[in-house]
Amino acid sequence: MALIYKLIPHLLSFFGIVLVLLRGFPGRRSVVMVTSVSGFVIGVVGAYILSRSFPVTVTFGIIKSALGVSFLLLWGISVVAIYRSTGRGVTIFRVERLVSTSLGAGMFSAMAGVVAGAVCACRLPSTDSTALAFILLVLASGTLSYILAYAALAIEKRLSDAFTVSPSGMLTAVVALLLFSSSSILRLDLFSPLSMKVMKGIHDFVHQFMESVLIPDHLFVRPIVWKYIGYLFGKGVGFWGGLVIWFTPALLITLAIRLKRLPPVAHIRQGAQRRRVLAAALKTQRLLLITPILSVVIFATAAYQSSFPSVEYWDPKPLPVTANQAGEIFIPKKGEVNLEDGKLHKYLFKQGEREVRFFVLKTPAGQLTVDLDACAICKPDGYGQTEGMVICYYCVTLIPLETVGKPGGCNPVPVQFTENGDGVVIDAVKLLGSWNATVQGTARIKEGGK
Amino acid sequence: MKRFVTAVLSAGTSRAVPPLVIGFFFLLYIVVAFFTDETLIALLAFTSRSTILSAVLALIPLNSLLRVAREVNSELKRHRSLRGRGTDDPTELFDEGVQFQAAPDFSELERRISALGYTTRRMGDALAAWRGFGLFPARILFLAGTFCLFSGILISTTSRTSQRRMVIERAMFPTPQRNGGIVERITLSPGTGWILSKILTMEVAPSSDSVHGKRTFGLYPPSLYGGAFVYPRFLGLALHLRFSAPDLSSGYETRHSMNCYPPGKEDSLIIPESPYRIIFTVPEPDAGSDRYISYITGDVTFRFKLLKGSEVLFTGSIPAGGEFSQDGYLLSLPEIRRLVVTDFIRDYGVIFIWSSALFFAAALFFWLPVRMFLPRREMLFHCESGATQACSRAEGGGRRHAGVFHEALDLIDAKKSDSTVV
Repeated sequence: MALIYKLIPHLLSFFGIVLVLLRGFPGRRSVVMVTSVSGFVIGVVGAYILSRSFPVTVTFGIIKSALGVSFLLLWGISVVAIYRSTGRGVTIFRVERLVSTSLGAGMFSAMAGVVAGAVCACRLPSTDSTALAFILLVLASGTLSYILAYAALAIEKRLSDAFTVSPSGMLTAVVALLLFSSSSILRLDLFSPLSMKVMKGIHDFVHQFMESVLIPDHLFVRPIVWKYIGYLFGKGVGFWGGLVIWFTPALLITLAIRLKRLPPVAHIRQGAQRRRVLAAALKTQRLLLITPILSVVIFATAAYQSSFPSVEYWDPKPLPVTANQAGEIFIPKKGEVNLEDGKLHKYLFKQGEREVRFFVLKTPAGQLTVDLDACAICKPDGYGQTEGMVICYYCVTLIPLETVGKPGGCNPVPVQFTENGDGVVIDAVKLLGSWNATVQGTARIKEGGK
Repeated sequence: MKRFVTAVLSAGTSRAVPPLVIGFFFLLYIVVAFFTDETLIALLAFTSRSTILSAVLALIPLNSLLRVAREVNSELKRHRSLRGRGTDDPTELFDEGVQFQAAPDFSELERRISALGYTTRRMGDALAAWRGFGLFPARILFLAGTFCLFSGILISTTSRTSQRRMVIERAMFPTPQRNGGIVERITLSPGTGWILSKILTMEVAPSSDSVHGKRTFGLYPPSLYGGAFVYPRFLGLALHLRFSAPDLSSGYETRHSMNCYPPGKEDSLIIPESPYRIIFTVPEPDAGSDRYISYITGDVTFRFKLLKGSEVLFTGSIPAGGEFSQDGYLLSLPEIRRLVVTDFIRDYGVIFIWSSALFFAAALFFWLPVRMFLPRREMLFHCESGATQACSRAEGGGRRHAGVFHEALDLIDAKKSDSTVV
C-alpha cells in the first residue's frame, strides 16, 4: 500500500504525459498509445536491470542526465520559439516537420515514456533480481501503463476540439511532468542542485565582474552597499536564481504564443469578417496558452516538492566529548553508540569558547570516517542522513555515503584520525584548526566577502 | 558566389547569433562544472587559451556590427520610401502590406488620417502617414552596447595582464616599467558619497625621466599610468624593523611590507636562518572610532607575538617609532609608512565594458518612454496605374494602428475589386 502511495506522483505524471501527447499529435493516437506504453515498460525494465548491474549511482546518474538534457532541450526550444514569434521571417525547420510525422510522434512519445518509466522504477524497493520478479515487473508495468494510457485516451476524446496544443507547449508539459515526477525522489531531483550551482555561479560571476571592471573591494565600500552586494552571495539568490532558470523556458513559450503575430487581414475588406478572423485567431491563441500556463504550475509544484522534501533525516543530537591530557579525543567503537552500525553519529567538542561539531560514520565500503559537520562551501548548518546519502541542510545537496570522507565540493570536511583497536582517536588541536579554517572560509561567503 | 555571400551575410546579421553563442558557452559551463568547482575561472582560462573559443565569442561583436549596418540600411530605405523616393518594393520594410485595384482619393484619406493624430505627407501619387518616434536610436544604442560588452569581454579574456605591487609612501611608484615617480603621500579619509566609505589618494611626483607628470590616483574609476590601470586593493603598512635575540647577537634589520588591514588581520615575518617568527596585528580601535583610524593618522600600535619554533615566547605591543625589550630580546620599529597593495592591470577591455553600460542605459532610457507613450506607427499608400499598394508598420500600439490602417483601406476600396495579399 505504501508503495502504491509512493508511486502515485509518477503514475499521475505518466497519465498527464500521455494525455498531452495525444492532444499534441492529433490523428496519431494509436502511435502515441503504443510507443508511450512500450517506452514506459522499457524504462522500468531498463532502470531495473541497470540498478542491478551497476552501482546505484550510475543508474541515478544516467536518469538524472536524461532529465537534465530534456530540460536543456526545453530551454533551447523556448529560445527558438520566442525568436520566431518576435521575428519577421518564420522558418520551418526540418526537425519540426519530422516531429509532426508518425515517426516523430512515435520517437517523442517513446522517449517520454522511457524516462517516465525509469523515474518510476527508482521508487521500487531493491529486491533480489529473480526471473519471477523480473516477469512480474514487466507484467505490472505493462498493465499499469496501459490502463493509464487508456484512461488518458478516454479523457482526451472528451476534450473540446478547439483545445489544441502547440509543439512547444507539448514539450513544456512533458518536461514539467517528468521533473514533477523526479522531484519526489531526492537523488533525481534537479531543482536543489540547480539552486546550488546558481548560487556558486552567481558568486563567481559577481566576484569576476568586480575584478573585471576594477570595482574597489569591501574595504572601501559603505557597509550598507556591501550588505546589498552580500545578498548576491546568499542562499536566497541561489533559490531565486534557480527559480528563474526553472520557470523561464515555460514562461518564454507562453510569451512566444502570446506574441505570435495575428494572421494578415489587410486583404479582407469587410470589417466584420476581419474581426471574425482576428477573434478566431485570438481564441486559438488563448487556448494554446492553457498548456504552458498549466506547465508553470507543475514546475512550481516540482520546485516546492524539491525545496520541502517529505523525507525524514537521521540527525542525532551531538554527544559531548573531551580531550585527554595528550590532547586526544577517544571515541569507543562500541559504547554508548555503535560506530559501526552505518549510521551517522555526531559529537560536540568544546574548548573554552570554541566548539566543534563532527561526526563518525562507517561507509558502505566498511571504513570508518571522521568528518566535520560542515563543508568547505556552505554555512555550517550540518548534515542529516537518509537512505544511502547524507544531505547538507544549507544547500540541500545530497552526498552519497560512498563519497563521505573524500574532500571537495559540498562533502563534509574529512578529519585526520587513527583507529586504535576498539575506538577512534582524533587530535583535538587539528580538529579545532580544521573547524576554524572551514567556518572562517564559509563565513566569508555568508557575509558576502569576495 | 553571390548566393554564398548572401547566405553568409544573412547568417551574420541574424538575431539568433547572440543566443546561440551564449547558449554554447552556457553548455560549455555546464560541462566544465562537472570537473571543477572553479567553473567560471576555468572557462575564462579555456577561452583565453583557445583560438576557436575566442573566435566563437567574437561572433557576437561581429554580428552586432553587421546588424547596425543592416538596421541603418533598413531605416534609410524606409525613410526614403516615406518621402516617396524609394525605388525598391517597400513591403519588405513594413509589417503588413496589401495591393488591390482601386484609385484612392488621397485628399479624403489624408483628412481622415490626420484627424486621428497622424502626420501626413502627399507626394504626387503617394501618401505617407506616421506618428510617434521610431525606436531606431534605441536599437542602435543597444547594438552598440552589445558590441562594446562582448568586445570588452573578448579583449579582457584574451589580453588582460595583472601585476600586484606595493605602493609605499616615499618610495618609487612601482610601475611594471620601473619608471614611476616618488609617492609623495598616501591619504585615507572618510568618504562623502553614497557608495564609497573611504577616499584614498596616492600622490605621485613626476618621474625622473619626465615621462610621467605629477599624478593623483583615487579609488574609482581607476586611472591609467603607463598604459596600466592603477587598481588599489588593500591597505597595509611598510615597517622598518630591527630585531635581536640572545642567540642572534648580530641582530636582524629589514624593511617589511605588511598586508595588515582591516584591524585584526595577522601578518607574520620570519627571521631568516633562525627559529624566530613574529606575528603582527593592528588591534581594533576603541568603539566609536573609525576602524582605519590608525592608518588615517599613522599612529599605530602593533600587537605582536614572538614565536621560537611553535613556542610562543611572549606577546606585547609596540608603537610606531618605539621599541620593546624583554629577557634579552629587542624589537624596534624605527619607521612605519603607509602602503597600498595595488594591482597594475593592462586591460583595454575594461573601457569597452564601461562604455557598454552607458550605451545600455541610454538605450533603456530612450526605449522605455518612447515604446510606452509614443511608439512609431507608419502607413504608406502608393497608387500606380489604377492599383493601390498599401503598407503598414507599428513599433507599439499595433492593434489600434491596424484598425486605422484597415479602415483607410476600406475607404480606398469603397468599390471593392479583387485583392491580393502581398
